[in-house]
Amino acid sequence: MEILAFVSFAVLVVAWLVAPSRGNVAVVSHAEDRKAA
Amino acid sequence: MPNNISAGDTAWLLASAALVMLMTPALGFFYGGLVRRKNVLATIMHSFFILCLISVQWVLWGYTLAFGPDHGGIIGGLDWLALRGVGQDPGPYAPTVPHEAYMVFQMMFAVITPALITGAFAERKRFKAFVIFTLLWATFVYDPIAHWVWGGGWLGQLGALDFAGGTVVHITSGVSALVAALVLGRRVGYGREALEPHDATMTVLGASLLWFGWFGFNAGSAISAGGLAANAFVVTNTAAAMAALTWMTVSWLHKGAPSVLGAAAGAVAGLVAITPASGYVDVSASILIGLGAGVFCYTAIQLTKRLKVDDALDVFGVHGIGGAWGALATGIFATVAINSGAKDGLIYGNPGQLGIQAIAVAASIIYSAVMTFVILKLIDVFVGLRVPESEEVLGLDASQHREAAYQI
Repeated sequence: MEILAFVSFAVLVVAWLVAPSRGNVAVVSHAEDRKAA
Repeated sequence: MPNNISAGDTAWLLASAALVMLMTPALGFFYGGLVRRKNVLATIMHSFFILCLISVQWVLWGYTLAFGPDHGGIIGGLDWLALRGVGQDPGPYAPTVPHEAYMVFQMMFAVITPALITGAFAERKRFKAFVIFTLLWATFVYDPIAHWVWGGGWLGQLGALDFAGGTVVHITSGVSALVAALVLGRRVGYGREALEPHDATMTVLGASLLWFGWFGFNAGSAISAGGLAANAFVVTNTAAAMAALTWMTVSWLHKGAPSVLGAAAGAVAGLVAITPASGYVDVSASILIGLGAGVFCYTAIQLTKRLKVDDALDVFGVHGIGGAWGALATGIFATVAINSGAKDGLIYGNPGQLGIQAIAVAASIIYSAVMTFVILKLIDVFVGLRVPESEEVLGLDASQHREAAYQI
């Protein structure tokens, strides 16, 4: 069962590596528009 | 003081009772942040009022119905009405603490359980209907099921394991919440306008305080200040953390961003799931229980939303599903290496325990669903469950309490 515990935590770590990291595109671009103005 | 009373056990149990007491106002903040600003006072009031109401109900008749001398495995007798005979000497459930200390610890469980349900009918329930519902539900649902499991009733006699309330607290409240959501119907504007949380910071603070109080809930349920309490403390913290990480990760992969509210809800789901198991499982099992809580509860909530059931604050997904998973997981992962007074679960060669846990889950679901439906229908006939649409649009703070949460 210890192995399953390690594996399940490792799965989460891998998921964080592959998860999207772009943020909310609409909000970001709106903020950049305001900064440019 | 009688010789067999342990100062250490008594101190820990009273401190745990205080920790569990804090969970109910914490729940008020957890729920209060999730509703719109026009309903925040009414939502917090649900929890605060229940703390007061059940504190009195419990000493008058709740405790004796739940823990009084057994009658046929179904209900406790009235021998301890108004706490007659419940004093400073130990009672039958805990030999090293005053009976009153055990009673007040159990009181805090009776308080928070109906408070959990309030998340399902938030933003639309008439206050008077809520008051009557809570009193009837505590008396006819919570007290009997607490007796079945912990008070010498038939589920306890059958061998069902529930260390701190997976069936008694979480399945009963979660299932009743689903029934309440279905009976009351959806909020005005549901599906047409965004019913967004008005203060996510309040919700995260509430979840954090719930986590803090949960150490009393689970580790206090050892009813002794020793190794079993320490193990319950460790597995509680681990499962909460693992479920928060899992929920956040699943929501990140599903919706593209790591949700803060998701992490908070995930922590609560993990705390729910480890509750029945916390006195019987080791730390590796608590990681798996937390993982399962994050996945199962998140999935259940997506399904509930797809079916357009307006369980406003996701009580069924977190408490109903989390409680059921925790109760079944107890039947899988329990080991006498942690608690010599319990039994092994499925993976330690005792598959029958999983069957007993399934019976306890099914009995809790069926009884609480039927009774909650009957209670709600009766109240609807005599009082009316929902506020009128105009008052719902105005908000419950103004329409039910004539107050406003914020003057800014």
